[in-house]
Amino acid sequence: MDKQGRGLAETVWTRLDRKAGAITELTIRQLRHRLSTWVVLAVGTLLLMSLLAMFIAGVRGGWEPIDNDGDSHDWDQDGYPAGQEFKYGSDPYDGFSFPGSGFFVQEGSFEWGSVGLYSGNHTWRYATGIFTYTWLDDSQIGGEEIIEVGSLKSCPEGELFEDFWIDWGDGCRMDVNRIAVHEASFVGNGTFRVQEGFYAEWGHFEDTFYVEPEPASNYIDEDDIDWTGDPNGINGFDDDGDCLRIGWPEDTEPDFWWGWDARHQPDRNGNGIPCDVAWISDSSGNIIQINPDDNVDEDPSEESLAYEDAHRAFIIGTGKIAFVMILGIFLPLFLSLGLVRDETENGTLHYLLSKPIHRGEFITYRILGYLIISGGFVLIMSLLMGLVTASLGPGDSIFRLNDMILWFGIAFATILALAAYGAIFNTLGLLSSRYGVYIALVIGVYEFVMAVLTLGGATLIPVLSVSHWTLQLIDSIVLIVWPNTIEMHLIATAFDLPSGIRAFWNPPVHTLGTDNPFISGLISVVVLLLITTMMILFGQAQFKRREIM
Amino acid sequence: MLDEDANVDEFSGQEPPTSVPISQPESELGQTRMEVAYGAGDGDDDAKAIVARKASMGVLYEQIYRPWDGELGPRWVRNYAIFRHHVYGIFSGKGHRHYNPFVRLSILIIFLTSLTPIAMIFLSVTISGGEGSDWLNRMWGVNRYNLWGQVLGYFPRNLCMWPLLTALVVGGMISDDRKNGTSAIYFSRPVTRTDYTAMKYLSSAVVLGFVIVFSYMLYYTSAIVFNGEGWAYLIDTLPIFLGGLLAGILLVITYTSIGMALSSVSQSRFFAAIGFLAIIFGTKVVALMIELIFDTTIFYILSPYDSLAHVGQWLVGIPANYEHSLALSIISIIIYNAASIGLLLTRVRSLEVTRE
Amino acid sequence: MSTKATPAVLLEKCSKWYGQVIGINDISLAIDGGVTGILGPNGAGKSTLFKLLMGRLKPSSGNVRLFGVDPWVSTSPYRRVGYVAETEKLYDWMTGHDFVSTLARLHGMTREEASERASHVLDFVGLGDVENKEIGKYSKGMRQRIKIAHALVHDPDLIILDEPLHGCDPIARTSIMSVIRDLGSQGKTVLVSSHILDEIERITEQIVILHNGRLLALGNLHAIRDLLDKHPHRILIRTENPRKLAEYFVTEDPVYGVRFAGEEALEVLTNDLSAAHNVLPRVIVDSGLKVTSIENPDDNLEALLRYLVGGAS
Repeated sequence: MDKQGRGLAETVWTRLDRKAGAITELTIRQLRHRLSTWVVLAVGTLLLMSLLAMFIAGVRGGWEPIDNDGDSHDWDQDGYPAGQEFKYGSDPYDGFSFPGSGFFVQEGSFEWGSVGLYSGNHTWRYATGIFTYTWLDDSQIGGEEIIEVGSLKSCPEGELFEDFWIDWGDGCRMDVNRIAVHEASFVGNGTFRVQEGFYAEWGHFEDTFYVEPEPASNYIDEDDIDWTGDPNGINGFDDDGDCLRIGWPEDTEPDFWWGWDARHQPDRNGNGIPCDVAWISDSSGNIIQINPDDNVDEDPSEESLAYEDAHRAFIIGTGKIAFVMILGIFLPLFLSLGLVRDETENGTLHYLLSKPIHRGEFITYRILGYLIISGGFVLIMSLLMGLVTASLGPGDSIFRLNDMILWFGIAFATILALAAYGAIFNTLGLLSSRYGVYIALVIGVYEFVMAVLTLGGATLIPVLSVSHWTLQLIDSIVLIVWPNTIEMHLIATAFDLPSGIRAFWNPPVHTLGTDNPFISGLISVVVLLLITTMMILFGQAQFKRREIM
Repeated sequence: MLDEDANVDEFSGQEPPTSVPISQPESELGQTRMEVAYGAGDGDDDAKAIVARKASMGVLYEQIYRPWDGELGPRWVRNYAIFRHHVYGIFSGKGHRHYNPFVRLSILIIFLTSLTPIAMIFLSVTISGGEGSDWLNRMWGVNRYNLWGQVLGYFPRNLCMWPLLTALVVGGMISDDRKNGTSAIYFSRPVTRTDYTAMKYLSSAVVLGFVIVFSYMLYYTSAIVFNGEGWAYLIDTLPIFLGGLLAGILLVITYTSIGMALSSVSQSRFFAAIGFLAIIFGTKVVALMIELIFDTTIFYILSPYDSLAHVGQWLVGIPANYEHSLALSIISIIIYNAASIGLLLTRVRSLEVTRE
Repeated sequence: MSTKATPAVLLEKCSKWYGQVIGINDISLAIDGGVTGILGPNGAGKSTLFKLLMGRLKPSSGNVRLFGVDPWVSTSPYRRVGYVAETEKLYDWMTGHDFVSTLARLHGMTREEASERASHVLDFVGLGDVENKEIGKYSKGMRQRIKIAHALVHDPDLIILDEPLHGCDPIARTSIMSVIRDLGSQGKTVLVSSHILDEIERITEQIVILHNGRLLALGNLHAIRDLLDKHPHRILIRTENPRKLAEYFVTEDPVYGVRFAGEEALEVLTNDLSAAHNVLPRVIVDSGLKVTSIENPDDNLEALLRYLVGGAS
């Protein structure tokens, strides 16, 4: 067979290899010589760089500690944060009720719906009507529903609630010594006329004493998650005492139904231990559920958890949205549609097909060339993203190697998507030069919508899309690289922490019910490769039978 | 390029030069040749007649150019012809710009889907009374949210259909001319480049407006007619309706600007179409992602859709979904439009009349 | 592998129609060795024939064989075939050398082999000095020659050129023609198509004439003409007294008519050209008239085709 004495197999293979190299190289050079390729890649780079810039700015700016349970706020503006008010048993929504304010002794009230007058020097509460006074305490400043006497505006002309209206908890000045109020509280001496259909009560405070207001920061990140690592041990500790409530005053009257702790249950998880957290694991020791009692470990430090959460959310989000949904769908649309179609349209296909190369091979090598350009771009970009996130991310290690691995996983998934879309779009371009491209556009939009649905947690319909399987693969890779993400997700859900992971990573989906991310990842890879192969084979079969004019 | 050829008859600014043969008519010449070729006849009888025609060896034509000195139609008539050429193509391909059947089908489908609320309102009227009717009216009846939603909301419509529609309609407007060199058909006639651009712009905007704005107006009017609403209702809802109308027009203008600019950049209609989709979708999801991770909505000003939605929410008077100031969204829309139109004009100005 | 028994090109009762339109109509043809001109007006089926040969199209009926192999099924015969397509488009961003060597690599050559062969072939077609210029900057003639170069790069046995002279200026034309003649003299089988008959006449005497998808004639130009002797021919004789000379001719058997083409010329019409030429010297001598020239205006390819076409249509 061969004059130079080379073996048959070697000759055939090396020759095949050379042809593959030539077509692949030609494709790459062709794409490289198109301005649009560079525009598209530049825009892609710009997109990822702006995301990186956001990331770096986020890292440099640090994280504001978050008050997860909200008890650092002073809702009634009486100077005491809600957490301190809870301890002293005062009402955090009532400006007259604060630590040291004592007890309100009610001396009397108008009956609901009655009309009447009452005179005296009292503390007036929940009052709606008109107060004619000889003395009004103007030292009461701040506090919800407390009239700020010094800054009362004049009332408009006319009758209250007929000609004008005042806000809840506010009032206005009708005369030199007369004010109109609406559900407000104040201290003064005079005569109160209740508005028809409204209410007022009066009395005085006893046992007042002074309590130093605590700074709000005492009630931020004050109850960290206490986890021994053993699901059978006693976990969870109420660091700030707002579950156990030891030394807190007994509630003299039942909380209003809208009160912050009206439904406070010290043993909500029902394991007989008040104020703990039940960590439930499966037989292999994986945490599958977390049931905390109320107000336990509810305000953990952001340092330990939320940083990591946000970091992972950024990587998963960028991987899914920027890489798969934007690069993964639009790069193929831009680059692969014309791989064979353009050659046919231009007529340059004749040069290539007059060579001893099979048409089927030709398609494969064209796609290979496109993949080298687009896949190379994705790989470089993921490497860059990985270097930045791995060196700037939270944690003790200087370089987070796992980040790097995950980024390669994302690049791998994206390249699989690029291959699948490349094969689909190329085949569409082959099938019909007239309609193929339009159909490709519609498929691009469809894939995008399916990706959005997948992100939103839909599992059934998007199965019929490439983007679903790619996102699914990333879910699996995340679980392989960071097995504790699922735990972080459970913690975030159990303690109601703000979590970015939840937005991009939905636990029920990520193992396809196999409980093994390797299996689900493998399934996704197989599905994607199958789609790619099927589309290429279909394209080849079409192209083989195609008569080229 | 075939579809552009049809233009010729529409811009008969000048008549083609006519040529008149100096010597004998062509028909006789042809006959002579034919007889020679076939050796028709027996030969001798008509031989003389044939030989006598010396001129059969060649004919010189005197070229007479008769300049057309009629009154040139006013500018708007010429421009209207361009406009008409592009718009009528949707209905009939003959003599007008050719729209791919797939594009026509898409326009039809998108238009029909945007009319679904009308069908629902009609349904609610026909089954009048009862809970079903109430529910239908609540879901699809005229209110601030639905008026806003008709042009800017409703997931598949705002994010898929309008962008897809724009991509399909606007994608080839200028890129086709660049690819086929058919802009020469316009530029060799008394049509300025600005007129050419403006008319192309206007025609795409009208096609988009037909689907987006017209369906909106249809929705509002049919709701009034079906429910037999009175003047009081009209006075109550008209300002909201006008706000939504303005939002719809803004949407059409902005999308057209971006699409036309992309179309003028490229020679491939698909590059323009994909580019448009990439801009709309890309900015939207990236901004969404940044909102989810970094808890800021400011990146939405990069997204044309979200800027439009923000302004639209203000126009119809519903609470905004965005934390950043409305002014930023307005500026974003203005910048997008200005940059696109600027790009479009520079590209058309530098458009070479020869086939590129 | 190369069996001399199988001709390079073989068509058996081959037809190709596009829907209602017939491209090639029942053509049987075998070509092997030398330069063959494929003649026919536009739309005669020349390109269809070549595309059938190159496996671009599938024959609607009949068989096509390239070195004994069906090109629609297998690409293996392309190892020995060079094809110059009609298309004008080239990769304008490539240099001439790049273009040829890239395509050479599709034959399985290594990069080095390909580069060496490309330089060689580019020299052969006379593009050696511009091989590193971008194709986009080439003139029309250079573009045609680079197309020929890529077809020659693997030293094929059969070269198919679809309208290689199309749109070239006379100088380019001459140089391309000489390249084609060279190839023929190297013993290769060369197929050249053209609708300009003068071009083919200058390249080859072996022709195939196609019209409306039908094979009109096949063989040596002169042999075909002899076959056509039975068709009406004209002999143009310039003499001082054509009327007198005509009297002598009308009595001769092969001559069926005479015409007067001007004051000093006589056209003799005959159905048997060789017989007419046999009697011609005698008649002239008999008449005693002075004859300045004798021309056969129908003895070129244009006239040939016109007769054939006239008869066929």
